Amino acid sequence: VSESGPSGQASDVLHPGDAHEEHEHSAIPYVVVWIALLLFTLLTYFTGKHHLGQWALPIALAIACTKSALVVLIFMHLNNSSGMPRLIFVTSLIFVGLLMFFTVGDVATRFRPATPAGAPFGTEPSQPEGLLEHELPE
Amino acid sequence: VSHEAAGLPEGIIGHHFSSLSRQNEAMRLGMWLFLATEILLFAGLFTGYAIYRYEFPLAFAAASRHLNLTAGTVNTVVLITSSFTVALAIHFARVDRPRAAAVCLVLTILMALGFLGIKAIEYTEHFHEQALPGKYYAFKEVTIPGAAMFYSLYFLMTGLHGLHVVAGMSVLSWILWRTLQGRYSSRYYTGIELGGLYWHLVDLVWIFLYPLLYLI
Repeated sequence: VSESGPSGQASDVLHPGDAHEEHEHSAIPYVVVWIALLLFTLLTYFTGKHHLGQWALPIALAIACTKSALVVLIFMHLNNSSGMPRLIFVTSLIFVGLLMFFTVGDVATRFRPATPAGAPFGTEPSQPEGLLEHELPE
Repeated sequence: VSHEAAGLPEGIIGHHFSSLSRQNEAMRLGMWLFLATEILLFAGLFTGYAIYRYEFPLAFAAASRHLNLTAGTVNTVVLITSSFTVALAIHFARVDRPRAAAVCLVLTILMALGFLGIKAIEYTEHFHEQALPGKYYAFKEVTIPGAAMFYSLYFLMTGLHGLHVVAGMSVLSWILWRTLQGRYSSRYYTGIELGGLYWHLVDLVWIFLYPLLYLI
């Protein structure tokens, strides 16, 4: 018992939300985030349907990242969690970034014999036989 | 330990933890570590997707436009709403309303079933069109190089995600059972919170899959 006193206090400092204010906990942020997520889905749908060329992918990813940030911060409570879950989450994102950056960077700078059959060379635009960009189905 | 455990259901605090708040912290830490490994697991597939979309941009666009966009959009709304109801379930557990929490969990599980049903309809369409992965690809409407790769990645990514939906449903059913037993309250809700975290991850993956597969 002598040990649980001080350790309990230390944990309360680490995690103030655990012990206090439970009955004042509000569901309003969840409703707001839900509506925001639905609106962002609508935005993705309409921007995606218009096929905005080279801007399509950055816009789609920006919206997806915004939606994810809302889910992670509010639904998953990373906005008021202790430091350790935040550190773990950010670390996983850094490694996703490293994996993506170097792998795609490698592929994007290869010479023709190293690309798969039928793929365009390096940064050349893709022009497969019988299908041009403006002929893509809607 | 004794003053913290007083009034809580049997067996909530492990004997190897000096206090409930320490156990809560350890549980959250373990869950986030697991979620990090899940993020990296999916990152491998997303990286494969990035490589082949870079190599075959037109084939990916052409193949993507043969997916059922309506089904994909409805499933996005279903998953986002199920994430919302699971967040509400945790909220209701926290404010000592276990019945409302149970209702929210049931709604979440139903939406997970709905998601899988819509996905099954889509998969059936692909099988009829022979838009199948790898050497089984015989879809007549998109025959340019790279189209088979799009469908291989599509089936791998949505398939792995679908497995996670099934796993999440199982976890939430178990959490529902424990909620009905009265295990969660304002004094202890870490179990239901961690089940919810897993479900939110399933939603997070789909948030990226939807524009990358259906809206090229």
